[in-house]
Amino acid sequence: MLNVSICVGSACHMKGSREVIAKLKDLVKMHQLEGKVLLNGSFCTGNCQHAVCVVIDDTVYSVRPETAEAFFNNEILARVS
Amino acid sequence: MVTNDRTTSDITKRIFREVARLTWNGELESKKEFLPETIIPGPLPQFRCCIYREREIIRQRVRLARGQCPGKNDTANIVQVIPAACDDCAISSYSVTDNCHGCLGHACYESCRFGAVSIVRDHGRIRAHIDPQKCRECGMCAKNCPYQVIVHQVRPCKQACPVGAITMDEETGLCQIDESKCIQCGHCIHACPFGALGAKTFLVDVIHMILAGRKVYAMVAPAVEGQFGPDITPDSWRVALKKAGFADMIEVALGGDLTAAAEADEWAEAFEHGEKKTTSCCPAFVNMIRKHFPTLSENISTTVSPMCAVSRMIKEQEPDAVTVFIGPCQAKKSEALDITINNNADYVLTFDEAVEMLRGKGIELEPAEDYTQQGSTYGKRFGNSAGVTAAVLQCLKEQEIDASALSVKVCNGAVECKNALTLMKLGKLPENFMEGMICEGGCVSGPSRQKALNELKRDRDAMIGRADGRGVHENLKLMNVEQVPMHRD
Repeated sequence: MLNVSICVGSACHMKGSREVIAKLKDLVKMHQLEGKVLLNGSFCTGNCQHAVCVVIDDTVYSVRPETAEAFFNNEILARVS
Repeated sequence: MVTNDRTTSDITKRIFREVARLTWNGELESKKEFLPETIIPGPLPQFRCCIYREREIIRQRVRLARGQCPGKNDTANIVQVIPAACDDCAISSYSVTDNCHGCLGHACYESCRFGAVSIVRDHGRIRAHIDPQKCRECGMCAKNCPYQVIVHQVRPCKQACPVGAITMDEETGLCQIDESKCIQCGHCIHACPFGALGAKTFLVDVIHMILAGRKVYAMVAPAVEGQFGPDITPDSWRVALKKAGFADMIEVALGGDLTAAAEADEWAEAFEHGEKKTTSCCPAFVNMIRKHFPTLSENISTTVSPMCAVSRMIKEQEPDAVTVFIGPCQAKKSEALDITINNNADYVLTFDEAVEMLRGKGIELEPAEDYTQQGSTYGKRFGNSAGVTAAVLQCLKEQEIDASALSVKVCNGAVECKNALTLMKLGKLPENFMEGMICEGGCVSGPSRQKALNELKRDRDAMIGRADGRGVHENLKLMNVEQVPMHRD
């Protein structure tokens, strides 16, 4: 199971973490990866300058709603397929 | 209320208050590093070996209050060990007390199958001794001693944990949480007399949202009534929260009504198909099923919790609203972080965190003149053990569905939950449905309770007694909230 944590802290929230979550959820569903990818919300990781912070395997990625799909293809899809 | 953590809980509240005050003033980043010195001015230590350790504990607590892990290991768990505060209490589980008579029966010696008990001469007295290296903690010696002089001591944190998630680091002796087992119930937090356990908070996030001008709605748990004495009503909270900049406050008792109505439909359908269901409103109970009884995950009702119901109701009308649950619960934070549930609460604060957030802005809860009723008495009783069942049965009655053949196992507290889930897993639970609440007594006894159950009962009954006798569906109609999507997706 690939754990993907999306920060829901205030800075990330204001930069669109809810939209990022919604997009990633749709993409996971679309690719039928529910059994392979686990999306979690997380507390602030202290990397607010990179908001929206998404963490996979201790690496922090900076994702925006408009880059969510590219992020999904490059970082999530590449890891599980 | 007698608690294990009076002093440490006061310190924790002070930290919430100071962190909130700095955040309201926009000074948290520049001044947070001075908080340890502000709170522990010295020169002499008050509780620990030196002021430097006391200040380190404060520093780690401030990190937790800001939603971060106290130490350098960043983990996802909500409940965290504060390493600097842990006393690594050296407790060898079974030991012989000074009352040992040194009898000739030697039942302790005879009953030990591991050779851990010996009869020794200690300062001229003959007595039993247990070698902690050999002891396997089977308890036979204590059981067989005719004088009951063998005691069993367990670390308070370990004893409080209902799922065996707490162990000790073999090298350092420090408390450790096995995060694959932890259900975030928060019971350990108030069990530790050194205050070495705490939980991450969303305090700073909530204040930032208000300061940023977002429309932030508070949702106060039905467990609130009676917690703060006879005069502090849900309206008191509404007034105080609005003063702090919240757009409004909605009682989660209304969510209780919404959940009960949806749960009643779900149970009626499941009953028809011969399926067994559990409630889904206690997040620690849901965590218990998912982590410890995963084969029963399908049996968790798909009806969302009252917290989620109210959040959805608010977001249906204002999609950009930010919703904040305020209640006695730590595990609700894990429900908020479960992003598979759409439009749930954005943030969760405990009663203590919320009160100190208000105090950080100089606001106190005060008796209110108005009286508003947003939930039926059934929704209001959701926070009591057996309250969910009573509300669901009331809904079935209102819909004239015959529920006489339907049976419910009400599980009050973690032990009863575990026992019933074990039976359910084996297919041997006689009842059709199961109400699970991990805190004994229900949410009213949650980790952020302000009073013991017997202390708050009178005030709570009186306060709920002020509400009229409207039914669940009647209330939903009155509040015009019948169109809220009520299932997990």
